[in-house]
Order: sequence, then C-alpha cells, then structure tokens
Amino acid sequence: MTERIWDKFLTERDKTVLSAGGFGALADWGNRPALIVIDVNYAFCDEEPKPILESIKKWRTSCGEDAWQAMPVLQKLIGICRDKGIPVIYTTGTRRADNWDSGSWSWKSKRSSEAPVLKSDGRDGNEIVDEIAPGPRDLVVLKQKPSGFAGTPLASYLQLLGCDSLIVTGTTTSGCVRATVLDAFSLNFRCTVVEDGCFDRTQASHAINLFDMHAKYANVRPSDEVIDHLNILPQGMFDLPSGQGMSTRVAAE
Amino acid sequence: MTPDRFEDHVWADVVPKDLIQIYAPYQRETFVGPKPALILIDLYNLAYRGGPVPPVTLQDQFPSSCGIHAHNAIEPTQRLIASARAAGIPVIYCTSDQRPFAAPRGVGATRRKKPSAAQRFPDDFEIWADFAPHDGDVVIRKQRASIFQGTPLISHLNLLGVQSLIVCGESTSGCVRASCVDGYSNGLHVSLVEECTFDRHELVHKMNLFDLHHKYADVMHIDEVVAHLDSASAEKVAAE
Repeated sequence: MTERIWDKFLTERDKTVLSAGGFGALADWGNRPALIVIDVNYAFCDEEPKPILESIKKWRTSCGEDAWQAMPVLQKLIGICRDKGIPVIYTTGTRRADNWDSGSWSWKSKRSSEAPVLKSDGRDGNEIVDEIAPGPRDLVVLKQKPSGFAGTPLASYLQLLGCDSLIVTGTTTSGCVRATVLDAFSLNFRCTVVEDGCFDRTQASHAINLFDMHAKYANVRPSDEVIDHLNILPQGMFDLPSGQGMSTRVAAE
Repeated sequence: MTPDRFEDHVWADVVPKDLIQIYAPYQRETFVGPKPALILIDLYNLAYRGGPVPPVTLQDQFPSSCGIHAHNAIEPTQRLIASARAAGIPVIYCTSDQRPFAAPRGVGATRRKKPSAAQRFPDDFEIWADFAPHDGDVVIRKQRASIFQGTPLISHLNLLGVQSLIVCGESTSGCVRASCVDGYSNGLHVSLVEECTFDRHELVHKMNLFDLHHKYADVMHIDEVVAHLDSASAEKVAAE
C-alpha cells in the first residue's frame, strides 16, 4: 500500500520523523479476535444516506453519507465473523430520558441541551441501524463514554471468550473508535482498525486519527486484507452465547 | 472435587445444617480452570511477625500478624509454588505499595488504625524469604485490598493469555476475598487453595472461605491443586 488516506495531511517533516522514529510497523494480528462495531446507530448515521450538512440539522452527531459507505463493509465483516463463530460485539450509547447522565458530554457541545431526537418511527437514536442489526448470538455493550471499556463489562467478556485481539470498526474514528483502541492497547489486546469500516464526521480527523493509531497502537488495514486474514482462522474457536430465546430483529437486506 | 464433597472443607465444624441447606444450589464440581496463573496475595513479612503463636498474643507488638495461621501455611505454600514453577505457569505476587508519594492520606487496604513507629520495620512489605520471587515472576504493588484495583494485572494476564487463577495468601477476609471477587467479575475462573490461605482468626477465615466457595471461587485442597499442576507438568515433559 503506497498512498495512505492520511498522506495528504502530513508535512514532509512529519513523514521523515515517522520513519526515523520507527513508528507504524506492522504488528502481529493475534490469533483469537473479536469483531467490535462501535456506535453504528441512528444518531451517528441518520435514517438514510443524506449529505452531512443536511443530516446534522436533525441528528447533531451524524456522520452523513460516510456512515453508509462503510455499511456494506460492516455487513461483510459481520457475516464472515458469524459464519466463523468469531465473537461480534457491538457498542452503543445509553442515556436517561432526562439526559442527566450525559455528564461531560454536555461540556463541549452547544447543542447538547436539545431534547433527544427520536427516529421518525419513534425509535431511539442509540439503536443500532437495522442494516447491521445484532444477531441472537452477538453481544451488545451499552456505554456512556467514548471507550467501549469505560464503565462496561467489555474487558470481562473478552477475558471469558479468551480473546487476544480486536478488529475494530464503527464511529467516530477520532472519538469512540480511538478511545476503545487505546484502552484495548493498554490492556495488551492486539488491535486491527478496518480503514474502510470506520467513519467520522470530520474528514481530516478521520485521516489523522487513523494515522495516529497506525503509527502507535494498531494496524490500520483495508477490509479486503482483514477478510483474507479472517478466512484463514479456524472455524468455531469460541464458546459463544447460544442465542436461545433472544428476540432478534431481522437485518434488512 | 465432585459435587457430593462440596462441603468437605475447613468450615464444616462452624456452619449449621440449615445454612448448608440454603446454599445447596451452589453445589457443583470444583476444578482448576484452563491456562492458570498462581496468584500469591500479600505473603509479606508483616503477616509472619512474632512467630507461630496465636495472633491475639501479638496484638500489641505485631497487630497485623497472622501468627500461627501464617506459619502453618508456609509448608503447603512452598509445595504449591514449587509445583506451579514445575508446571511453568506464571507466578504473580502482590504486596502493599509503600513507595513515597504514591498515594494521598487515607488510602489503604482496610480502615484499621495505622501502626505506630515502634510497630513498623523497613522490610515489613518484602515477600517472606521462604517464597522469595524468582527472576521472571511478577510482583504487583497495590494500594487497596484487591490485586486488580488500580494495577496493571489484567493487562499482564492478557499478555500471558491467562484465563484462570489459582489464589492463596492472606487475609482471607480482606485482600484474598477482594481479589477473588474481582477475578470472578473479570471473567476468570478462580481456584482458592484452602491450606495456603489464612487470616487472623479461624472463624473469620472459615466464613469467608465459605462465602467465596459458594459464590465466586472453587476452594480446593492443596493436594488436588498440586496433583493437577503435576499432571500438567508431566504432560509438558512428555510433549518435550
């Protein structure tokens, strides 16, 4: 891979420093991954692909069309992992109706006092979009802060499953994806970030955060390469939930 | 151990029949889990001060000593460590973090009164010489009761691929209990070795072992755990 998404944002000095400092080496993948899908919900995606400036009028955290460009990549990865018996773990937000527990989130947004927005059919913005709806054997971790690990049982689930690595997708690259990758790194989990499976509402943030993560904490790879890797892993390595009795939405085709 | 021997432990003489009846749904087979690490909780000098005598007689000079209970556990703990080393599993100690500037006032493993200057020695929190750590072991310095709280333990366990713990040390009611519960909460199978675990008083020791055994950990006898580790090292030798 010669040209990377972040190259056009870097100065010549940046490129020299990076290579002289020895950053950005390719780490081992690990042997027992979980697929992590961060916050691909209506509040970040809108109900359909819309230009971002249009979309954020209703959904102030929307990433607009970029979210929907990642959707087929997510569908493919989720499908492969389910077939292989690799854990698929979603995160999404959870909030009191009165928003009291937004806490620090209210400190940096001028629009945080707006009443929570609901989908046109009345569903909550934190619901994971139907196009990649969780299946009965998947796990959904509810969180209130950027990292999937902060105040959640995620680390204990990974321990119980015997995971040694994460394949991270979702949104936003600069926010919750990065925070989750950082915490995973600190816990000695190996991380792969799927370049075309992540998105952000800010183009420069998306590129530079991928750059940072690839330099120091994770392998940032295109989905084709991640799929090739998943395909060589053995079938049925994990003791996954049986899924019995789980009410499940059928993923929209 | 099989479910029918679930209550064959040190608490049998203090636990009434109706309590056993209430706790019947906890009965199960006990075992050492996959990919274990040995966790040695607070085996530091302070726990052994004053020699093998009843702790109540040490109240004035060494109020933190577990006395006879600590000394009774020395031989089985040596056996356990030797067997863990032979099996090649990670050996992880913890002790109290006494480093200067490490914590504000009021931070500690319990709410007990601080010892007087006359009751303190510079090597109080060094590991007891019989169990001195080897090269390659890990010593975690902690400020609270649990070995997990505010320490890098989980990241070490992930790096090593550890999936379960074999725990021993002191005190049963304090740091051992807190560490076992956190181990359980973090998704690890926890086995607690009865003969290598101790407290200042037998009743507290027994009831805390009882609680841990029923709810969070498999309390096992030293012979079972050593037999398990020895068979693991025999397999290792055969494979080599």
